Amino acid sequence: MVLRTVVTHAKKHPALIPLFVIIGCGGVGASLYLMRLAMFNPDVSWDKKNNPEPWNKMAPNDQYKLFSINMDYSRLKKDRPDF
Amino acid sequence: MAEDIRAKLGRYKTAPFDSRFPNQNQTRNCWQNYLDFQRCQRAMAARGADVTPCQWYFRVYKSLCPTSWVTAWDEAREEGTFPGKI
Repeated sequence: MVLRTVVTHAKKHPALIPLFVIIGCGGVGASLYLMRLAMFNPDVSWDKKNNPEPWNKMAPNDQYKLFSINMDYSRLKKDRPDF
Repeated sequence: MAEDIRAKLGRYKTAPFDSRFPNQNQTRNCWQNYLDFQRCQRAMAARGADVTPCQWYFRVYKSLCPTSWVTAWDEAREEGTFPGKI
């Protein structure tokens, strides 16, 4: 419904099409990143009973961030004692 | 393994990079190491094993945590009001 409004509006004012595209990409990108954070961020725990500390399930050389610069994750080793 | 950890403790300078907490806010790093120290001590004592490896967590949280937090948590543990699961 929103898409049809946008399409008829764009036909009447074709100069506005780049605006729609850019805003659309921005909105989609923001929601995609939000879904990524909700599903894959190890700080997020949806099920506190079965998965109370998901950050402890990371291997020592897992990368937490989306873009990490100047950090060579392949060389990291586990250095905490087991118990 | 015990010799390993003793050598590591001898060479300890500061808390190493922890990939679970790569950002500037290290609060959870401090909290997690404090919890891990308490859990490690309890688990090793229950098994009757050597408690020395737990000293790693002790050194790390001492490096990271503000002293006032540590004293507050120690008191909370004694009173039984500590919020974490040990």
